[in-house]
Amino acid sequence: MNVAVMKTKAETGFTEGFERVVDTLPGGPNVAALRREAIGQFAADGLPHRRVEEWKYTDLRNVMKDALPPAIGDATRITIADVIVALGPLGRMEVPRVVLVNGSYRKELSNTEAAAGVSVVALSTLLAGGADAKVFGVEAECARQSVVALNTAYATDGVVVDVPDGVTLEAPVFIVHVRAGGVAQFAASRNRVRVGKGARATIVEVFAHVPGATPDGQQSAVTAVDLDEGGQLAHIKIVNDAGRITHLSNWDVTLAKSADYRAFHYTAGAGLARNQMRVVYAGANAKADISGAFLARVGEHVDTTLLVDHALPGGVSRELFKGVLQDHARGVFQGKVIVRPDAQKTDGKQMAQALMLSEDAEFDSKPELEIYADDVVCGHGSTSAALDTDLLFYLRARGIPLEAARALLIQSFVGEAIDKVENPSLRDALMEQAQIWLLGHEA
Amino acid sequence: MLEIKNLHVKIADEDTQILKGIDLVVPKGEVHAIMGPNGSGKSTLAYVLAGREDYEVTDGDILWNGESILEMEPDERAAKGVFLAFQYPMEIPGVAGLTFLRTATNAVRKKRGQAELTTPEFMKVVKERAGKLNIDVEMLKRPVNVGFSGGEKKRSEILQMAMLEPTLCVLDETDSGLDIDALKVVSEGVNALRSPDRAMLVITHYQRLLDHIVPDRVHVLAHGKIQKTGGKELALELEKSGYAEFGEKAA
Ligand SMILES: Nc1ncnc2c1ncn2[C@@H]1O[C@H](COP(=O)(O)OP(=O)(O)OP(=O)(O)O)[C@@H](O)[C@H]1O
Ligand SMILES: [Mg+2]
Repeated sequence: MNVAVMKTKAETGFTEGFERVVDTLPGGPNVAALRREAIGQFAADGLPHRRVEEWKYTDLRNVMKDALPPAIGDATRITIADVIVALGPLGRMEVPRVVLVNGSYRKELSNTEAAAGVSVVALSTLLAGGADAKVFGVEAECARQSVVALNTAYATDGVVVDVPDGVTLEAPVFIVHVRAGGVAQFAASRNRVRVGKGARATIVEVFAHVPGATPDGQQSAVTAVDLDEGGQLAHIKIVNDAGRITHLSNWDVTLAKSADYRAFHYTAGAGLARNQMRVVYAGANAKADISGAFLARVGEHVDTTLLVDHALPGGVSRELFKGVLQDHARGVFQGKVIVRPDAQKTDGKQMAQALMLSEDAEFDSKPELEIYADDVVCGHGSTSAALDTDLLFYLRARGIPLEAARALLIQSFVGEAIDKVENPSLRDALMEQAQIWLLGHEA
Repeated sequence: MLEIKNLHVKIADEDTQILKGIDLVVPKGEVHAIMGPNGSGKSTLAYVLAGREDYEVTDGDILWNGESILEMEPDERAAKGVFLAFQYPMEIPGVAGLTFLRTATNAVRKKRGQAELTTPEFMKVVKERAGKLNIDVEMLKRPVNVGFSGGEKKRSEILQMAMLEPTLCVLDETDSGLDIDALKVVSEGVNALRSPDRAMLVITHYQRLLDHIVPDRVHVLAHGKIQKTGGKELALELEKSGYAEFGEKAA
């Protein structure tokens, strides 16, 4: 990119700050070399801005003003009870949990016994054991993005999950990232998930904060996902924070033959959230169902940017995103679907809908279909509308007070997206979480 | 008792005057029918009773049990016992029928100072009342009215009425879209609600309904005014002569 452009305070902060901390970051010499290369790339490219096509509606350079101090080896003391509170309705679920506090794995708060037969290991553990730079690996296309480079440079920890061939894990594995303490920090994590041949699992990444945590923070999380032949993964990310954080998430997904991937993003209470995902169909007849619900109020900004890349025949993709936008919140949906020449019989459908609860809210939706095969069925749609006043009248004429009537209609709107979550306890907890948000309380 | 006095109504955003001085009294325990040509303002009157915002009352008043309801919100009116069965019931995607019925029933019960129904209590009452209207409870698990046939929607309105136990029932062309058997079932449902402390206003185009729900009075609404009032035989006369006689002297 344009090297001559003046560096912002945040860009300089991240670049110059790196030298001060590089020796305290986990990993051997290979990893350090990878980090150096990455920060060099970040220094050259800087934060993405609105003149970069994929960041047209989310001018990160302009929004991310400061480089917060990186969270490294954080030791903020919290208890399991704090984690449960942070999880809100999700805290009721008795599931295997891996907990990271301000970007660092905490063994004493984690419990992975219930995930028997599946390997769940912290990245820091692997790095301490001498793992080399490969554990960081994402596809080159993903790695060359400057936000991913920044993550590579600073990632302190993360979780590496391996579901061996043929293993089915019923309980969802929770990877819980909590913010805690009074110091606003930049926390970067790197995760990998591999689902073996014919294996099946559910993984839930949660981003939340414990009571009393500073409302500010910056998070970057990169997750590389590989589904082997016939592997099935329900992959859910839940951001439920306090309103001022910058959350940058990047999922890089590769599907082998007949893999079945279900992704869901729930995003509420993030000052700025960028949920970026790339799904590459590297085998025939793979399926992906990617959906999400986002709730934003005041000046919050939630961006969903998807790239679905059908490279081989018989792929199916479904996308459904629903957002509720209040005050002067802004929602962004960019959904690009590529159907390459070999991807005959691809069946792709996409829908993005926003419920506008204020005239000041904004929804930018940009579907993009690039189709190079001729025998395909692809469609997309996008709507943005206010609450239906006729329906409100109907509900009120039946005695339901205005606020309850509004809540019922909003819930039914997001409920349609949340229904995509197949695990019933998870679905109910998310619905409850959305209701709490709608009532205006912080979780 | 329902008292409508010199009611003038126009469409809120426009100057079009629809009701031009309606005077009507329906005492408790009575059923009055309103008939009249298409576009004469029958549904408008029904909506104004229920409190729809698209209309503006420019003159006159509506009293229910001696109290003006004009300033009340639609849900307050519902709590006071006003119920409108819509000519065109709306579909509410994503809201299950049972959730809707329970929310509505408990909202009005709460406002009326009655105990809210627990889930088992509610289910018992719904099953019983839906059964009488030939409505399968399975259907109520689906989103409200979504994919219902015209007749199913009308029956669903009457079930809502049965659940909310209103004291002023306004039925706007509840008979249209019903087959002969359904008409009987629905009429029985309505008749079951007839009682000395309920008033009913039944809007219809057809004498047929009034064979089942026999009215105490019949009013002809045309060109924004009540043009004629009579006994149940007036409906039979209209069936023969139509509304031609009310064509000229209006407005
Ligand atoms: N919201 C509205 N906006 C514009 N015009 C309206 C509105 N509501 C009613 N009108 C008009 O007012 C007149 C009366 O309509 P209304 O629905 O009350 O008639 P009706 O007597 O119920 O007719 P029908 O027998 O066909 O049901 C009609 O000319 C109609 O087009
Ligand atoms: Mg009408």
